[in-house]
Amino acid sequence: MPGITRYTTMSRRGLLHTAGGLGLAAGALRGAPALAQSRAITVIADQSNAETRAIFAEIAAAYEADTGVSVTVNNMDHEAHKTAIRSYLAASPPDVCFWFSGNRMRAFVERGLFDDISDLFERENYYDVLGTSTETVSVGDRQFGLPLGGTLWGLFYRKDVFAEQGMTPPADWDGLLATCEQARGAGLTPMTLGTKELWPAAGWFDHLNLRINGLDRHMALMRGEMSYLDPSLQPVFDHWQDLIEREIFTPNHTSYSWQQAASFFVRKQSAMFVLGNFMTRAFPAEEKDQLAFVPFPRIGPETRRYEEFSVNSVHIPARAQNKDVAREFLAYFYRPENLGRFLRPDGNVPPRHDIPVPDDPMMRSLVEALRNADGTAQFYDRDTDPDMAQVGLRSFQEFMVAPDRRDTILERMEAARKRVFRA
Amino acid sequence: MFPRPLPDDASAQRFLYMSLVAVVLALWLLPLLAIMATSFRTMDDLMRGNYWGWPERIAWLDNYRDVFTQTPMARFFLNSLVITLPSVAFVLTLSTLMGFVLSRYRFPGATLLFAVFVAGNFVPHQILMIPVRDMMLRAGVYDTFFALILFHTAFQTGFATLFMRNFIAALPQELFEAARAEGASPFQVLAHVVVPLIRPALAALAILTFTFIWNDYFWAIVLTQSDAVKPVTAGLANLRGQYVSAWNLVAAATIVVAVPPVVMFFLMQKHFVAGLTMGAVKG
Amino acid sequence: MNALDAVEKRALGGSGPTTEAAGPWRSNRSWLTPVLFLVPGTFLFLLIIVVPIGQSLWISLHDWDGFEQPVWLGLDNYRELLGDPQFTTALRNNVIWLVLFMVAPPAGLAIALMLNQAIRGMRIAKSLFFIPLVLAPVTVGVVFTWFYDPTFGVLALVFQAFGATGPALLSDERLVTFAVVIAALWPQIAFCMVLFLAGLNNLSEDVLSAGRVDGARGWRLFWHVVLPQLRQVGFIAVVITVIGALRSFDMIAVMTQGGPFGSSSVLAYLMYEQAIFSYRFGYGAAIASVLFLIMAVFIAWYLRRMLRLEREAA
Repeated sequence: MPGITRYTTMSRRGLLHTAGGLGLAAGALRGAPALAQSRAITVIADQSNAETRAIFAEIAAAYEADTGVSVTVNNMDHEAHKTAIRSYLAASPPDVCFWFSGNRMRAFVERGLFDDISDLFERENYYDVLGTSTETVSVGDRQFGLPLGGTLWGLFYRKDVFAEQGMTPPADWDGLLATCEQARGAGLTPMTLGTKELWPAAGWFDHLNLRINGLDRHMALMRGEMSYLDPSLQPVFDHWQDLIEREIFTPNHTSYSWQQAASFFVRKQSAMFVLGNFMTRAFPAEEKDQLAFVPFPRIGPETRRYEEFSVNSVHIPARAQNKDVAREFLAYFYRPENLGRFLRPDGNVPPRHDIPVPDDPMMRSLVEALRNADGTAQFYDRDTDPDMAQVGLRSFQEFMVAPDRRDTILERMEAARKRVFRA
Repeated sequence: MFPRPLPDDASAQRFLYMSLVAVVLALWLLPLLAIMATSFRTMDDLMRGNYWGWPERIAWLDNYRDVFTQTPMARFFLNSLVITLPSVAFVLTLSTLMGFVLSRYRFPGATLLFAVFVAGNFVPHQILMIPVRDMMLRAGVYDTFFALILFHTAFQTGFATLFMRNFIAALPQELFEAARAEGASPFQVLAHVVVPLIRPALAALAILTFTFIWNDYFWAIVLTQSDAVKPVTAGLANLRGQYVSAWNLVAAATIVVAVPPVVMFFLMQKHFVAGLTMGAVKG
Repeated sequence: MNALDAVEKRALGGSGPTTEAAGPWRSNRSWLTPVLFLVPGTFLFLLIIVVPIGQSLWISLHDWDGFEQPVWLGLDNYRELLGDPQFTTALRNNVIWLVLFMVAPPAGLAIALMLNQAIRGMRIAKSLFFIPLVLAPVTVGVVFTWFYDPTFGVLALVFQAFGATGPALLSDERLVTFAVVIAALWPQIAFCMVLFLAGLNNLSEDVLSAGRVDGARGWRLFWHVVLPQLRQVGFIAVVITVIGALRSFDMIAVMTQGGPFGSSSVLAYLMYEQAIFSYRFGYGAAIASVLFLIMAVFIAWYLRRMLRLEREAA
């Protein structure tokens, strides 16, 4: 049986030991802690934005210059990293790695693969500056990672198009239907959609379920504690089916990645787009000020507002070789000025209160929407079990194409839930 | 030669023929032209869905420059060579040895052995992922060039042996009988009869295995994690984003990555010709 | 499978060179060298390919998420497969791939014949025809996705030129697999072309001239004299194409990710998805085992046939 094997020291590490030794004197002068461990660390990152990559490299280089610790950064392609992390955490962990907070982090914490860094929170007073985002990296009352930028989901529209057609961003369900009609009247596709990557369809499910059933019931469903055949889900699918049958979505949406679909939106052929704030990066720079954001419309009398807010994070693997140096590096990286720089290119919302929010209207509306939220979910495929998510994402896509298959689809999801959560 | 060569003096005919080939070639390479055109586009163009129209602004070298500045592409390139060249050499050597014995000797289990090699070819890569990774870890070579060289050599040897066995089996029997009559040892037969005759096959195999190993991405991510070892395909993947993919960069990188195998093919063609003259002489 | 039969019959139809395999094994007692020749390759292949296949078969009898202790399930994974509609769809798509992919060997041969002329510029043309094979599959997939784009794609533009609406191939449950196969055929045909180019260069001029002296020309010469000499290369082209069809993965991952909702998945992709995204290594290994079994049956049948025909020819 192929089990998990002990990591065999390689010559590369040996080299790094020597390299670390050279920086020893510099570190000692600054009163760094005793050098029981070598002064070299390895980081595995999964940054797909070239600008972010460059900034992270600069921060690492500045830290090297400052402390004499040598930092090796290996950047992986985002999708490949999701696979690789399962190998390297068990087999040959780096000292620092990037990942996602919430349920995806919990899976590794439960298997003892991420280090408890509550001590770092204590020492650096992160509890004070982070507030509620501490929860996203907590299991029980212990912390296992540092939250990075958050992606907020909601409804995007073009100011110029809305102004031309005299449309207003919808605040509630009736408003949404009315705006869709108005957009159609103006010859636009009301709602942009590309579901080739599956997850954009799940965004619709999450929003509808959070609005109709609230955060607690939504999370119960995500944890597998609630049946997909539960009657309370029927109104969610009723609302959704209503939209599908009104044909508000981009036709043939399964042919398009969200990015391809976004070109309709950019070209002013469709009116609105429900997506995360990474959407801004698919928008030509000179037109960015035309892009605006409002939270997903309210549904019914429910006044409490729950949003989708997915937070990435950075961790120290439990089997890392240089956990102390890794902590020092993280503390340096997490300084407000460094973290702020690192987060800016992606336009994500900073987790620290003491990072000045970039002064642009988009960021202001994101922060405001987040401040008004009564609670946040991360996203379907981050909140539920990966096995369940795979079935769920595909089912939502199918529902958006063939809503008449609702019963079959829900039964299939329920069967998967029973299998995955052993319910 | 088949089809019958066009006569040297029929220049009009030759010109017409070549024009026909050019037309077929243009159609054949339409997707490639699309990639090249994309590599000169700006991201804004692609955001607007302008895949085929005239670009808004032609970015002649911007994307190509970005490929090398945004990822350590030059290093990845070197890594790929360090992985691919020895692997190809090992594959050619091992498969020639295997193919020679399997096609020219009859011994118990020969068919079974050949069957195992053929069957091994049919395995979906993904099924090997976990066991192979664990094996490399146990051997202490995980995240080194050696892990990839070892795996590629083993895997491609399966296909190459199948290829070689059939190629050597098709060589005229009289040559071997003559060699045997002269009392040549198996090694001498291999070195003086087989190897000279299979040069075209070796050239073809070299190109194919080079291409497969060069283009491998799956094993690169399974068996390596540090930039110091990763091949060029991993660099290519680094250009694809989590949410936003800069397809213009990916297109430029693809062109860059495709250069070595094409050059390889071009260089190897003279060995095809060598094989041709050999065929004429051997009667 | 019919196409395959045809290629093989053609390949064996004429008077090819004999491939007698009885070597000096007994007469010469020089068995040591051949054994030494076999050892390194065999050892490597057994260690790195065959043993892991066995381990995967073993994994397929367990419930395993890749981390924790595997739990013995016996044949439960296989039982679940039988009732999994996604598995049936994937299996059906594999058959479609297999049948359509058989276009590649004859198409590759046609191009090779066209290029087998010694005219100035032909060497470059050969290199250029080879290019699809060296492009990363990701790129081929992306470009064809653009071709098929229902709004901006070339296909849609052609339909628009005739005042019609182009089909959304990648959104259509019934057409999507065909669309992906066509994209995958592009590099596969180039692959077969390379093999046949090598084969054509190795034709025996004697046999060709003899055929020409007998008055055979054009099609008849091709059919009775040339094809028989290409039987070994043809065999490899067909085998490679079968392997390509059954192992098809990259194009699906790039172009559709098995979608829409699983309708274009094949066994190799389904296996990957279960193991990597759903973390069900046991179930994934079971799918792979079934795929391997299909291949094994096919290859056993074909090997037997090939060896028997070789013996008869000897």
